[in-house]
Amino acid sequence: MKTIKHISLWVVAAAFMVVVPTRGNAQAVSKTYFNVDWQFNAPMGNSYADKASGWGMNFEGGYYVMPHMAIGAYIAYHTNNKYIDRQTLALSSSSALTTDQQHSLFQLPFGLLAKYRFTTSGMFEPYMTVKMGANYSRMSSYMQAWELYRDTWGFAVSPEIGISIFPSPNYRYGLHLAMYYNYATNKSKVLTYEIDGRSNLGFRVGISF
Amino acid sequence: MKKLIPILFVVAAVTACQKEPSLSKLDDDYVVFTDYDKSASFGDYLTYYMPDSVLLITDSEKATYWTNDEANYILETFAENMAARGFMLVDSKEEADLGLQVSYIEDVHYFVNYPSPNWWWGYPGYWGPGYWGPYWSSWYYPYPVVYSYSVNSFLAELVDLTDQTTTSKRLPVLWDTYMAGLQSSSPRVNQTLVIRAIDQAFNQSPYLTNQ
Repeated sequence: MKTIKHISLWVVAAAFMVVVPTRGNAQAVSKTYFNVDWQFNAPMGNSYADKASGWGMNFEGGYYVMPHMAIGAYIAYHTNNKYIDRQTLALSSSSALTTDQQHSLFQLPFGLLAKYRFTTSGMFEPYMTVKMGANYSRMSSYMQAWELYRDTWGFAVSPEIGISIFPSPNYRYGLHLAMYYNYATNKSKVLTYEIDGRSNLGFRVGISF
Repeated sequence: MKKLIPILFVVAAVTACQKEPSLSKLDDDYVVFTDYDKSASFGDYLTYYMPDSVLLITDSEKATYWTNDEANYILETFAENMAARGFMLVDSKEEADLGLQVSYIEDVHYFVNYPSPNWWWGYPGYWGPGYWGPYWSSWYYPYPVVYSYSVNSFLAELVDLTDQTTTSKRLPVLWDTYMAGLQSSSPRVNQTLVIRAIDQAFNQSPYLTNQ
């Protein structure tokens, strides 16, 4: 936990230090944007590690090819964990395993995005975005001293709506709020647990510049 | 160029960003795995023989064993469960229908690089097929073996000794259990956990009975 927090804060700080000096007011630089967010994610549609959590972040950047329309790239990651009480699993017709477990589902979608903002100036800038790309996912079961896991790749698509709030519109540094849905085609099985696809619903809070 | 730097930071950050769950939530009981030969008819067996010691598998290349107090409660628990399932303990291997061998694996790291799932067959002092009589030359499992290894692990195998008519046969392992857990600093707790694990191995093996 500490490691992730430290890394995430480091990324935010580094991004600010490098990018902020290169960006002036809205009139000087207005065609690029970046969002760095903490996110809260709830897996849907399956019971494996479906406990909602805030263990994730989102990073995206884009370029406005038209005043309202931007294209860009994104990468995000999230982990959801869930404790499973001790139970006996029939691994096959002859073998059985008794244990308790910590289930973990890690997802890392990344790819390209298209963003449409409804206004181009002012304090509030609502928008909608569609993201598409790949999704790396690790499905894990932790038991005592070891971990069983399966790594998979899938196709990911994610619609998102949100708003950037710029307290001083002349300077494009502000707050970012968003809600998203994410679906990926990853399919995996660990022990007797199987997931076909990954559906997620969540929200993001971060900075926009 | 400067704008690429935060992107590189991002890439570096997400490579190590999985939040591992808290393992402290896991209980202290052992992970218990069992498997068996589905073609075996355990009702056809009546007697079994069990050595009076537990083989200790460690980093050492010299065979060592637990005997007396170290092994007694383990072997007694196996014996109680076998008796409850209708099997009779005998003093002679030659008279036994089944053989039950128990091993304790002390250090997982010694075995990490073994390529074969049956590496323990070559361990010095391991229960060789010859231990069970001159009739057996090697082992075989009539079913797939899916062992994995960790610290503080017990391995027990039930072998079929009934066909003692010729030599150089493969000795079938009819049932096996692998039990693993973290070692407590309290010997009493360790003993309790081991006994519970052995009981669980039998509980999840209802087919292992001649009644």
